[in-house]
Amino acid sequence: MSTAPHHSSLVVNGERRDVLAPASTTLLEVLRGPLELTGTKRGCNHGVCGACTVLIDGKLARACLTLAADVGEHPVVTIEGIADERGLSRVQRALVEAGAVQCGFCTPGFVMALTSLLDSRPQPSADDIREALSGNLCRCSGYIKIVEAAIRLAEGEGA
Amino acid sequence: MPDPTTAAPARAIGASPPRLEAADKASGRARYVDDVRLPGMLHAALLTSPHAHARIVGYRLDVARAISGVKAIVTGADLTGPRAGGIIKDESMVARGKVRYVGEPVAAVAAIDAETAERAAAAIGVDYEPLEAVLTIDEALADAAPILHEEFAGYVKTIDGGAGNVVFESSVTEGDVDAAFAQCPFVVEGTWETQAQHHLYMETNGCVADVDATGKITLHVTCQSVHHVQQRVAEELGEPMARVRAIATRVGGGFGGKHASNIHSIAAWLARAARRPVKLVLSRTQDFEVQRSRHPARIWMRTGARADGTILARDVRIEIDGGAYADESPPVLAFALLMSRGPYRIPNVRARGRAVYTNKLRAGSFRGFGNPQASFAGESQIDDLAQRLGMDSVELRMLNAMQPGSTAFGGQPVASCVLRECLARVRDAQRGASPLPPRAGRRRGVGFAVMSHVSGLMGTAASVQLRSDGSVSLSTGCVDLGQGSDTVMVQICADALLLPMERISYSPQDSDASPYNWKTAGSRSTYMTGRAVAVATVEMRKRMFDHAAELIECSTEDLELRPGGMVGLKGVPLEVSFKQIALRSLFQAGGPISGTHGFVFDGPGFDPKRAAVDRLAFANLGVYTFGAHCVEVDVDEGTGAVEVRRAWCAHDVGRAINPASCEGQIQGGFVQGMGYALTEAMHWNDEGWLTTVTLADYKIPGVLDSPVEIHAFVLEDPDPSHPVGAKGIGEPSLVGAAPAIANAIRDAVGARVRKLPMIPERVLDAIDSAT
Amino acid sequence: MNYVAPDSLEDAYRALADADAVCLAGGQSLIAAMNLGLAAPGSVVSLRKIGALRGVDVQPDGGLRIGAMTTHAELAAMTTTAAGPELVARAARLIAYPAVRSRGTIGGSVALADPAADYPVALQAADASIEIGGPCGSRTVKARAFFRGLFETDLQRGEIVLAIHVPPGAPGAGAAYEKLSLVAGDFAIVAVAAIGKDLLDLAVGGCGPTPIVATGIRSSSEALAAAGRTLAASCDPPSDHRGSAAYRRRILPEMLRRAGQAAAQRASA
Repeated sequence: MSTAPHHSSLVVNGERRDVLAPASTTLLEVLRGPLELTGTKRGCNHGVCGACTVLIDGKLARACLTLAADVGEHPVVTIEGIADERGLSRVQRALVEAGAVQCGFCTPGFVMALTSLLDSRPQPSADDIREALSGNLCRCSGYIKIVEAAIRLAEGEGA
Repeated sequence: MPDPTTAAPARAIGASPPRLEAADKASGRARYVDDVRLPGMLHAALLTSPHAHARIVGYRLDVARAISGVKAIVTGADLTGPRAGGIIKDESMVARGKVRYVGEPVAAVAAIDAETAERAAAAIGVDYEPLEAVLTIDEALADAAPILHEEFAGYVKTIDGGAGNVVFESSVTEGDVDAAFAQCPFVVEGTWETQAQHHLYMETNGCVADVDATGKITLHVTCQSVHHVQQRVAEELGEPMARVRAIATRVGGGFGGKHASNIHSIAAWLARAARRPVKLVLSRTQDFEVQRSRHPARIWMRTGARADGTILARDVRIEIDGGAYADESPPVLAFALLMSRGPYRIPNVRARGRAVYTNKLRAGSFRGFGNPQASFAGESQIDDLAQRLGMDSVELRMLNAMQPGSTAFGGQPVASCVLRECLARVRDAQRGASPLPPRAGRRRGVGFAVMSHVSGLMGTAASVQLRSDGSVSLSTGCVDLGQGSDTVMVQICADALLLPMERISYSPQDSDASPYNWKTAGSRSTYMTGRAVAVATVEMRKRMFDHAAELIECSTEDLELRPGGMVGLKGVPLEVSFKQIALRSLFQAGGPISGTHGFVFDGPGFDPKRAAVDRLAFANLGVYTFGAHCVEVDVDEGTGAVEVRRAWCAHDVGRAINPASCEGQIQGGFVQGMGYALTEAMHWNDEGWLTTVTLADYKIPGVLDSPVEIHAFVLEDPDPSHPVGAKGIGEPSLVGAAPAIANAIRDAVGARVRKLPMIPERVLDAIDSAT
Repeated sequence: MNYVAPDSLEDAYRALADADAVCLAGGQSLIAAMNLGLAAPGSVVSLRKIGALRGVDVQPDGGLRIGAMTTHAELAAMTTTAAGPELVARAARLIAYPAVRSRGTIGGSVALADPAADYPVALQAADASIEIGGPCGSRTVKARAFFRGLFETDLQRGEIVLAIHVPPGAPGAGAAYEKLSLVAGDFAIVAVAAIGKDLLDLAVGGCGPTPIVATGIRSSSEALAAAGRTLAASCDPPSDHRGSAAYRRRILPEMLRRAGQAAAQRASA
């Protein structure tokens, strides 16, 4: 049964993007589909793996559990909106240099989680870090080098 | 291998440069298969079987065909060619004549969008005649059990060895086990059971099949071998391989679960029929239901020793549940048997086993490949034996450990072996670590396990060329699954040329363009393809030296490599650049300079004077690696919950090309093995439905579940058959986790858990039984 | 599927009069169910614009009125001295993961009544009340009566959870929430909420279609274990791959003892 498409006017990575899609369309589908922002990944599509993590209003959100229609005016930031003028943010650089990137499928989600953490708490403890990353699954790394990279960031590396 | 180069300040081998593609991955630019879109692309949907075992009586396609936007449909009725399959050709892309597990693809549809394809697939009518199903090994082996593959005898097989519901049967024997047990005053015996584990790569399986005007297929595919996908799809579509091309997209994890499979053939078939590109990317639920799992296993083991701890005999029976199709059951069983002796010098060993068909999702390749199952039993039993002997379990292992010059089970000589060093390393590290404060209500335990694995098998090749500006192009068929093989190959090449890595390009894997590689599997990439890269680069270097000698007017023996792409006359500043050499070759004399090397693993095979091997399920394999784990756990005595606090993992990698990548493999493998040990299991209900089909049901470790410290010790004991001494590391670190944790639990609470996963209930039950 | 985001409760009630309409609060359960094909509502009524559903108000007695659209993250971050609110905060901290907590709401969780969820256990121990609004007016139901069964509550068609009222708890009471799960953030195998001082009110989750409540239990080890054995004998836990019914009954007394003693220890003189 087809439904009348719903018009959503989103602010994504600082740009206004207008989308016409069925009301049941998730933010993940809109990002990866019409907005062609494929850096946000679909790992499970039911909110457990964290590969679809984005920021909405500066707070972590699962794009697969958000209806595009329900985002409203709240600004969305995706992995494509993270890099700075030098090409990679310090969070991205830290993960790359620490050997924390293996298959890379989980990496955008971890970048968003770490970016959000450091924005709200510039010097998190190791426990804060683990807690902040607790919703992002990685099958390749065993998490050790990811946390090591985050600890270096907490100690001011790359600032 | 003689090294004609001068000492250079910073060598590529042994450094840990960031991965070549890490920046793309961290920025979201890396292109995985679901990121691929092609103009006019259709979407595929699958219709799968609701029955565990049934005959297919007929199909009704009129309604589906009439849905607007449907462009192609395939069912088993369309398939007339031979069956597919690696070792035993017993399967087809969609079910033919029969369905053999709930979730088996029965039909597939390509349509203009996913929703239309799903609707059309659901509208396909299939008439079934349900049959009795067998869901366990015992049911499948019972008298008068329904037979899954009635035509098994007539299937094309590379290895024979099955009948009825037995896919394959094999044994490996050395010495005289029964006589040896008679001389053992200390004998322990036990049965262990392991579960179906899922690879749980973060990126699901999928592909985009494209088609050109002549019907030639190109697949963009997340896979572990473009050549393997090409071969299977060509075979199933009845095309010569020249008309099927596979290009690897960036792979989001493999672990053995992304080998060529039915979905690749389905997408290709639909694309060819619709004459348009077709995307088939599995949802997480479909990936659970349609792909493959690790083999559940039942392992009975008996080990006998003298009073001084010398192990004289081991008797093993392994049964593995292969699910509905043979897939890689024969080599998984064979490898489990081979690894069941453990890395010990036990002179009398008999290992027998069977792989069995059941009406469930097929089991196949998964990191460890039978070794995790065998080692869970074997390394648990070593601790049981130590307890019986009144010996420290590390001492018992040390006493019996393989050493350089030992032979593996099956008779292959093992040239390099630092097992004792690995074990000493983790024991000393744990002892030397500051003790963690005890926790109320928790008992602390320490456990050990050792492991061996192989890293050389099958065939591979590499090709390297010198470009006109003196930079180099390297090409192999080795697909990087995330473990870092792309970077390692470039490091090997860069090291042999003293060239900065940025001056070497590495080609994507394309079955039309890349040299052959069997698969990224079996911990073989650094050993096999890395060896091919090293030899090919040296071959190109020789040709470059020939040109340089002409340019400088000297003998090649007087030349040396200099860092940064130069070749110079020893002892004097005179030198020419790679660029000058290249230009000479392209425009003056000799022609473009390249180097290639290809080989099939050429290590020694089984020694028939030592071992009786009944049916060889794989070609030569070898290049043994060794490792040891030590883990500290806390066991909650009130609930049975287990927490792994710290782990020490020492692995011999021959030569660490990229130490950070080695550590990453060790740490990641340990945590995947910890999931196998404690929380992961696929479950089927009584009707054969897989009930664990979401990440809400199937639980892998997150950061809060994983140890805060996993110390990865990378030991280097170079293998003489490899130009830079490297061996493999992909699989061993998973193998040791479960037995080390089981041994730590026993140390903590005196209870032996013999069934995986060791969920809290099982641990509590074991504590009850022990008291 | 239709989507509406009304600005007022009255507009929301009107939209929910349709039998095929459901509320969308944080979406962390509803959208997951839709993605898995387990839910396909004809229309979704988003509550995000309704200001009346937001806000956490401290009451004169130290208790809280928590607006239904308050997120788990907001509740997890609460620092409070009253035991009732503290119990809710402790439960909130163990729900799923940070990204789920930043969007998921207490109202949504309460209306769903998942038997393995955390709030129903904490709210029943704390003797909270659920403030419900509908086209015919509002009413308040005790949490201990609100959760009826598996995914079943006292909500009637067209009604919305407006707020949760959490009493402060007895003066000087302590609170504890003990949760056993297979991995961090997972649903509970067994969870116990405890609040009180010398006498405790307890609720157990994961051992039946709804949490089981035991009130007025003395905080001694023996009394808690005895209460645990009584509850274990009479409850009807599920058997699943996380644990069998027998296992849940087996560990219930120990979990009860731990939660009860932790609450008692946190109580002040």
